[in-house]
Amino acid sequence: MHIVVCVKAVPSSTEVKMDPVTHTIVRDGRESVVNPFDAAALEVALAIKDERAAAGEGCRVSVLSMGIPATEALLRDGIARGASDALLLSDRAFAGADTLATSYALSCGIRELGSASMGDAAASGASEQRTASSGSAAPGTPEDGTAMPGSSVSGTSEHGESAPGPSLPDLILCGKMAVDGDTAQIGPELAGLFDMPCVTDVRELVAIERGRVTVRHATDAGIELVEVPLPAVLTVAKDIAQPRMPSIAGVRAAAGVPVAVLSAACVQADPARSGLAGSPTQVVRSFVPERSDTCEVLEGSVPQQAARIIALAEEAGL
Amino acid sequence: MEVLRTAAARVLRLMLLMSDAGEVRPCGSAGPDTISSTCLYAFAAAAANVFASQHRERGRAVAATSFGPTPTIPAIIKFSSEYDEYRGDESRSRGTAESLSFPRNEDEVRAIARSLSAARTPITVQGARTGLAAGAVPQGGHVLNLSHMNRPLGLREEDGRFYLRVQLGLVLSELRKYLAAKAFPTEGWDEASLTAAQRLAEAPEQMFPTDPTETSACLGGMAACNASGARSFRYGAMRGHVTALRLVLANGDVVALRRDEVRARGRHLKLKTEGGSTIEADLPTYQMPHAKNASGYFAEDDMDALDLIIGSDGTLGIITELELALMPAPAVVWAASCFFATEGQAVEATIAARADLKHAAALEYFDPAALDVLRRARAQGSAFAALPLLPERFGCCLYVELQAPAEDEAMADLERLGAIVRAAGGSERDSWVARTAVDRETLRFFRHAVPESVNMLIDERRREEPSITELGSDMSVPDDRLRDVISLYRSTLAEEGLESAAWGHIGNNHLHANVLPRNAEEYARGKALFARWAQDVTAMGGAISAEHGVGKLKRDFLTTMYGSEHVREMARLKLAFDPACQLGRGNLFDAALLDEVRREGAAVPEGANAADAGLDVEDAGLDASGVGPDAADAGPDASSAGPDAAAVGADAAPAPPAAAPADALPKAMNTGEVS
Repeated sequence: MHIVVCVKAVPSSTEVKMDPVTHTIVRDGRESVVNPFDAAALEVALAIKDERAAAGEGCRVSVLSMGIPATEALLRDGIARGASDALLLSDRAFAGADTLATSYALSCGIRELGSASMGDAAASGASEQRTASSGSAAPGTPEDGTAMPGSSVSGTSEHGESAPGPSLPDLILCGKMAVDGDTAQIGPELAGLFDMPCVTDVRELVAIERGRVTVRHATDAGIELVEVPLPAVLTVAKDIAQPRMPSIAGVRAAAGVPVAVLSAACVQADPARSGLAGSPTQVVRSFVPERSDTCEVLEGSVPQQAARIIALAEEAGL
Repeated sequence: MEVLRTAAARVLRLMLLMSDAGEVRPCGSAGPDTISSTCLYAFAAAAANVFASQHRERGRAVAATSFGPTPTIPAIIKFSSEYDEYRGDESRSRGTAESLSFPRNEDEVRAIARSLSAARTPITVQGARTGLAAGAVPQGGHVLNLSHMNRPLGLREEDGRFYLRVQLGLVLSELRKYLAAKAFPTEGWDEASLTAAQRLAEAPEQMFPTDPTETSACLGGMAACNASGARSFRYGAMRGHVTALRLVLANGDVVALRRDEVRARGRHLKLKTEGGSTIEADLPTYQMPHAKNASGYFAEDDMDALDLIIGSDGTLGIITELELALMPAPAVVWAASCFFATEGQAVEATIAARADLKHAAALEYFDPAALDVLRRARAQGSAFAALPLLPERFGCCLYVELQAPAEDEAMADLERLGAIVRAAGGSERDSWVARTAVDRETLRFFRHAVPESVNMLIDERRREEPSITELGSDMSVPDDRLRDVISLYRSTLAEEGLESAAWGHIGNNHLHANVLPRNAEEYARGKALFARWAQDVTAMGGAISAEHGVGKLKRDFLTTMYGSEHVREMARLKLAFDPACQLGRGNLFDAALLDEVRREGAAVPEGANAADAGLDVEDAGLDASGVGPDAADAGPDASSAGPDAAAVGADAAPAPPAAAPADALPKAMNTGEVS
């Protein structure tokens, strides 16, 4: 079984500040962490891996992200917690991506993880370090049994992807949303790109057996029990699982495992569908709502204060 | 009344709009339309709090005067049930008082002290009331609550280090917020301070290293008991991080002390007050234990006068200001909870870690019983359910915090820790490593959940048996007696058949071994056991209180630790500062001992008397009528306390400059290990 967990680096602080001039998040040198919803998704995957291992079955858990080079540390931390391998997509070509371009980039990464080289590397316990500048051969070719990104095959999804091939993962897990963007679109978009079933806001993974996964997920009407065939995409709620901590042994082992860092070219991403160019969403303006500091503290005796309160209420038209 | 009630309902909506944060909540239970007029004040206060909070968030000053004219004369309030919470502190002890006040600055403290000095009214100083030794629990008289004195007052930079001057009521969590944001409420700061603040904003992140578990503790309280906490393994206790303070005496006079400016000559101390008086006294002659210590007055040859005040349990004066030495925050903070099957393995790992780890800032321990209590609380679906699962094979836990200048050095230490764990018979896989903010928070939650789950257990038992409380010890021993003291706890608890849970600062050989009584009889036996531990720990060269202070609860153990004559020396020293025994009544000394020592004609200089300090009680303009101090209970008659300045060795030779006391120097400052 192969599970891919998509993770995003988000600011660690809950007190995010906006630059009043650029209207971008002030990173302020603060540490990034894995989006808590994604951390829960990783824990779900690792629990499946543990269960399979106990039953004597293999399970590969890959962690995937698109981000700046520093995100590699978070992926390595995923390996320390028990993931089998990790892939970081890092390239200026990916910059400025909205959710559609991000999910497209991740789909390229997912295909890459299913390639023979990545799969073999994970199986042997080591990943290969390749970048665009290294000139390594790009995997993810049609010979893998999957369509090239951007190729159009009749009878497929609206984006023209072919039906999932054998090298695609059995399960793609995402957090239901990221705490910084709150869009909750990546999982469904990935499902659309791969023409897989998708269940969002999963609260409980009930069973994986006979090529199907059964989950409970939240809907506006309540909790729904759903069974879908694999491969599938699940987006999970934060409280579906308590993320495990890495152990000293895990941290030491992960320190020696290279994390694959690949460029857009390495994963043969279509420039027209990547980064800003591939993003139909345009942010016109972002701003922090202004707050009023006006406050009058009432002084004097109780009758005086009461009179003032009545006057204020009348002034306010209440 | 109906008009008023309608207006109240309207103003609630208005205030909710004005707060725009929605933080104003009605105190009436049935909603705005049925709000009672008595809630109006609560609304106003809540709105003011929201307003103040918003101002603080923006790094702007919130002065008392922002909310209207501040009275220059602070109110002395007659004690009533409305103020019942101020009769106790976190020790869950309760006392009595006749009056209380909430001054906002030192002038107000002085005015109140002058007012109370005339009648020799006992004064119990309170900060955040988080103490565990009942030091802030009043025994009659006046409660001087300084929680409103919570502002940073200024900043200076010297040789690349920053020193922050604060009012004593500032709580640790607020200080940390200011430091993390590099922004302070600066109203009233002088130009030099504002310049230093600008420099700090450009400097690497700063921290204040003293780290008691309770971050709602105020800095004045932390100084009063020489608090320490987990990171004292590396940074020492509070004493080493205070560079200046101001102390208001019981008569309203002030002593201002700056480190290295006033030293004892041998064991003789002479101080000048700002009012021109002299305090002259002999210091106790005992030797301090070679262990973490917050028991009684600090005393060493040629010691800095500042170090005497820190850890004096509010018995010598009222600390109103502190200057704190900040230091650069470490670049890398990692932590690991290592789980072992047996306590012996954890102890051996601790001893090895102490020697081998280069960047350990904290070594903490949680014993099997403590983890079991936490497991049960977690299983019951409490807030602790958010903790990672604790498998049964996780018998006990050694928590290690690493603070390193770079990740590679932290990694090297983590590998050394792995080797230590293996050598002690543990498994590297049975550990939780925190390298991210989220994981560090998980481990912080875990560490705090242990005592909290024990408190919940005791609260549950108190419903059946209200007379019992958790019995928490706070004793420490020298490094080479760690195995012995744990053996002592285990054997005696087994003998008594008492339930217990232990956790704490094992790196400093300082465990909080707690008895969890199930009934009054066990409670009594537990208390008796603590007395026995005090004797045995003293015999090991340890301290009966390592960080909580002595307060009222461990007063009897002081005699066990130092002997009665040395306690009398301490009492004489107190009388030199507080001749009418007004301050911190019941802390360190019982009243009978102080009376006895005073009658013996202990040194009480005239200069300490209010009249000689040139202070005019009437100037304070306070109306103490109705306060109701019982003169008969207001302490000894100062007029009979004969001054004996000649007996205290004024001719002693000048002392050479001396180093700060051993526990006053943080390890990092000695080794330069902190970047």
